[in-house]
Amino acid sequence: MDAIAFQGLIGLSMAMYLWLISAGLTIIFGVLRIINFAHGSLFMMGAYLAFTFYGQLGLPFWLAILLSLLGVGLLGLVMERGFLRRIYGIDEAYQLLLTFGFILILDDAVKIIWGGVFKIPAIPPFLDGAWRVFGRPFPVYNAFVIAVGVAVAVGLWALFEKTWWGRIVRATASDREMANAIGVNVPRVFSGVFVFGSMLAALGGALGTPVRVVAPGIGAAMIIQAFIITVIGGLGNLKGAFVASLIVGILSAYGTLFFPVFELFLIFAIMAVVLLLRPQGLFAR
Amino acid sequence: MKKGVGILSVLFVLTLLLLPAGPAEAQCQLGVPVIKIGVQGAASGPHADYGRQIEMGATMAIEEINATGGILGCKLEIKFMDDENKAATGVKNARYLVAEWGAHFMVGTDSSGVAMAMGPVLAELKRIHFFTHAATHRLTEELVAGKGIKEIVRVSVPVYQDAIIAALIFKDRPEIKRWATIGADYEYGYVAWSMFKDTLKKYRPDAEFVAAVWAPFLTLDFSPHVSAVMAQKPDAIFATPWAGEAVMLLRQALIQGVFDSQVQAWWQAMGGSVDVLEGIASEVQRDRFKGKLWATARYIHNWPDTPENKAFNERFRKRWVRLPNYSAETTYSSLFIIKAAVEKSRSLETPKVIEGLKGMQINNPGGLRVFRAEDQQFIYNVPAGRPMMDPKYPIPVLGDLKIFAAKDYYRYPPFTPVAATK
Repeated sequence: MDAIAFQGLIGLSMAMYLWLISAGLTIIFGVLRIINFAHGSLFMMGAYLAFTFYGQLGLPFWLAILLSLLGVGLLGLVMERGFLRRIYGIDEAYQLLLTFGFILILDDAVKIIWGGVFKIPAIPPFLDGAWRVFGRPFPVYNAFVIAVGVAVAVGLWALFEKTWWGRIVRATASDREMANAIGVNVPRVFSGVFVFGSMLAALGGALGTPVRVVAPGIGAAMIIQAFIITVIGGLGNLKGAFVASLIVGILSAYGTLFFPVFELFLIFAIMAVVLLLRPQGLFAR
Repeated sequence: MKKGVGILSVLFVLTLLLLPAGPAEAQCQLGVPVIKIGVQGAASGPHADYGRQIEMGATMAIEEINATGGILGCKLEIKFMDDENKAATGVKNARYLVAEWGAHFMVGTDSSGVAMAMGPVLAELKRIHFFTHAATHRLTEELVAGKGIKEIVRVSVPVYQDAIIAALIFKDRPEIKRWATIGADYEYGYVAWSMFKDTLKKYRPDAEFVAAVWAPFLTLDFSPHVSAVMAQKPDAIFATPWAGEAVMLLRQALIQGVFDSQVQAWWQAMGGSVDVLEGIASEVQRDRFKGKLWATARYIHNWPDTPENKAFNERFRKRWVRLPNYSAETTYSSLFIIKAAVEKSRSLETPKVIEGLKGMQINNPGGLRVFRAEDQQFIYNVPAGRPMMDPKYPIPVLGDLKIFAAKDYYRYPPFTPVAATK
């Protein structure tokens, strides 16, 4: 019983990484109607920048994360203002090509700037160690990730439900023409949302830096999972993304415990089941 | 005056024509403008250092060979392609390298999955590929000894190193009975675990295999795998994810308290690789693994302690500012094997070069390699040990070395099948 509970907790920490990257993807899709294939690359850039600030320059961990968020936010701004803005409203094939192009550029850029060898810095000492939970050592770091994920979930809820900016974003998502008509600066909202979504992806990447390797191609691994979660949760639905992340993260962990032979396709099996029962996703718009 | 200038000009031109050709135009006795070597390895993702090291080893080898006149007067040229650890890419690259680029030989490849896919294609392309990393025994036991594909030559120690040596070391630890694996979810992981279990069972009928979890390439977090395995309270863990994934796995195992638990030993198969030792350096320095971590590789830079190996390390560090990984040494050595075989057969034709390999014994930085015709492997041995700091080196080395003669752990024909599934 303890082993099962413990595995669930581990799965919860895995779910939080998934949540952070799918939250950004969902928000961007919900408002901009852009499927940002380069979202995984933003996740990867967040990890690389955090590694540079914390691992190479020796800045405090929290500052490194903050700076990596700002850096990727800036990158997101350039991507949106300079490139994506030109393809709103035209064929989705162009979205695919453009964002895929970003994946290729960013993958090569990190190889040129940081080299092809993986990077991993030391764990921040105050996050090292483990607490005894369900009779076994549960890493402090995994608890930290759970805390950040929950804080982000609560923060996003508060942001979109309670704040002025959140209301404008929801209005723009729901009907951009109407929002425009009542005086909302839609292009500026779009930029803001894209930057915000990019920063969420970066947070997911930066958070993993001391316990996961930073390497070219880690974005590719995450983006597939992020898409599956967004589909399961319902495209554009933030609550759906959170619940789907929990489902995928925790069920995958249980899959490893009970059915390790099926590791490779468990996440796809979950997606298939959800789509069969509710094709529009768990919480459709 | 004009006539004088005219005669001088003619004399000048005649002299130029009659001057002997400079060293750049020394005759290539094999009748080709250059000998082309196609090189493949993983150059992306967490395993990217291996492709890089393969390229570095090959580059340094041809630079050295070309500096001493090439092979029978012919210069060498390499072309590196990223196989992305994917079978389809490796096969596509091989076809391109041979059919379009004109490769006479090919070297490299990290993934057992890629190697198994390439095997039959090599027979079709009629080009020898010297495998310098991919470890599955099935490449040589099934495709060479079984199916007779002589275009496959292996230069690096195969999975016998990962699996059988582990069994030979831990059979003498009576307190270690319960084994679990965190396995790389593809051919290499499956055969390593199978072979380890089969071998250990022969010496220790009391051994129990209590858990097996699998992680595919691009697994970003092994926390669920570690916790799933620890739920079964193993005495020891057999781990095959390699490169960046090995470092990540060890980090995540450390924070789950594995090395402070009842686990007595952790066998990280390719943990003796330079990139892994670099990645775990700070933990080794602080003795976080409590002496429980064991590893091996397909060459380790600090063994054998010969002048040739030391000189190779020096040249490599000077050239690349890093220590040579095993894939660098095996690839470097394969170029010299090609040189020896071509010089002996005096030909670039595949069947003749294959003949030229027979009976070959060659001194490489990693030691003496001896060719075995039955499965076309170059036999040599590599020790296993525990990562520890050594003041002579900037990164951890394997110490407390357990050295086994190759004849004590290589398998011999007739080969009995070993399960290649999970």
